[in-house]
Amino acid sequence: MNNYPDVVTKIANDYLARVKSQLRLVPAQEQEEFLREIESHIFEAYQNTPGEDDVARILAVLRKFGEPAEVVADRLPAAMVRSGAKRYLPLHLLSGILIGLFGIPLGFGGVAVLAGVLLTLAAIVAVFYATMGVVFLTGALFLVMGLIRIYEPGVWDKLVTNGFIHFDRPVADFLDQLPPGGQGLLLIVIAAVFVACGLGMLWLGRYLVRGMRFLFNLAFDRVGKVARTVRTKVREGKQELGRTSEALFVKQ
Amino acid sequence: MQYSDEDKDRRITQLRKGILELAVMGVLYHDRHYGYSLIRVLSESSSISLKEGTIYPILARLDRDGLVRAEWVESDQGPPRKYYGLTSAGRQLFDELSQEFELLISLVQRKWKAPEESAHRKRLFVQKG
Repeated sequence: MNNYPDVVTKIANDYLARVKSQLRLVPAQEQEEFLREIESHIFEAYQNTPGEDDVARILAVLRKFGEPAEVVADRLPAAMVRSGAKRYLPLHLLSGILIGLFGIPLGFGGVAVLAGVLLTLAAIVAVFYATMGVVFLTGALFLVMGLIRIYEPGVWDKLVTNGFIHFDRPVADFLDQLPPGGQGLLLIVIAAVFVACGLGMLWLGRYLVRGMRFLFNLAFDRVGKVARTVRTKVREGKQELGRTSEALFVKQ
Repeated sequence: MQYSDEDKDRRITQLRKGILELAVMGVLYHDRHYGYSLIRVLSESSSISLKEGTIYPILARLDRDGLVRAEWVESDQGPPRKYYGLTSAGRQLFDELSQEFELLISLVQRKWKAPEESAHRKRLFVQKG
């Protein structure tokens, strides 16, 4: 397509890229051939579209051609069966289990079960983050204690005598064997361990949130589907009612 | 009760889906075409408004089922074109499907009697019996 003006090439390529992005699950060779065919069509349609303005011409061609989603609509299911199944097997299994779990109780009951499960999962996430917060706080406290022990022995002693800091017998005995600097250092090391745990949890939390988001999306999709079914049923019910009353009227 | 345009569009799409495939097979029965020329033929012979891109999934489906044979042919006016023609299996299926379609279309276009008249006839029938 060398005799296209640059801007037209850009718009056409952009469109082809959008089609391609819809074809991710189609085998590469088939994908390429499909795109080549569309490209050929767009070129010819562009040549046969009269007009002064290049951009208006290519846009008219693409408008007549249709949205990428429409163009590939029928291609996806078969291709998914052929090439997608292998690659996304774990995902398919997971969604299979989820549908197995949530799909059987249909209607409002199913939605209620789903809402319950999601609420529980959300609570787990909340508890996870709360625990993480506590771990960080503990770490910070140990750090402060360690620093006080090292730099402000006077304050430390006062805190101990006032009962703000209290160690059980075996721990106190163990700490007393160490010099003040050693005690402080030990406290800071413990603080570091806590902070490291907290950071680890933060890192894990990312996966947790991502997993939750997936589940929530899945669930909302499901709820939407149920809502649609209910709506059509209600509509059909109304029609049924209309028909019955009509029939009654005719009989009289 | 309101019937939305969206629902109407959905029904039209549904209706077109199978029939358009049949029409494509009909065009490719005697002549070989590539996507763009096929669209031209279809839109010239009727005032139906088609999104041109939707022809390609149909062609791909026919190709997958062995009903058409596809071939790339160089063109002196631009990029190569992919030509399609019906295979013998495709021809045979088209013959059968178009018979089925005739039956269906006669059902749709038949002039059904208005309700009063048919009630009247029913009464006559009852009296005779």
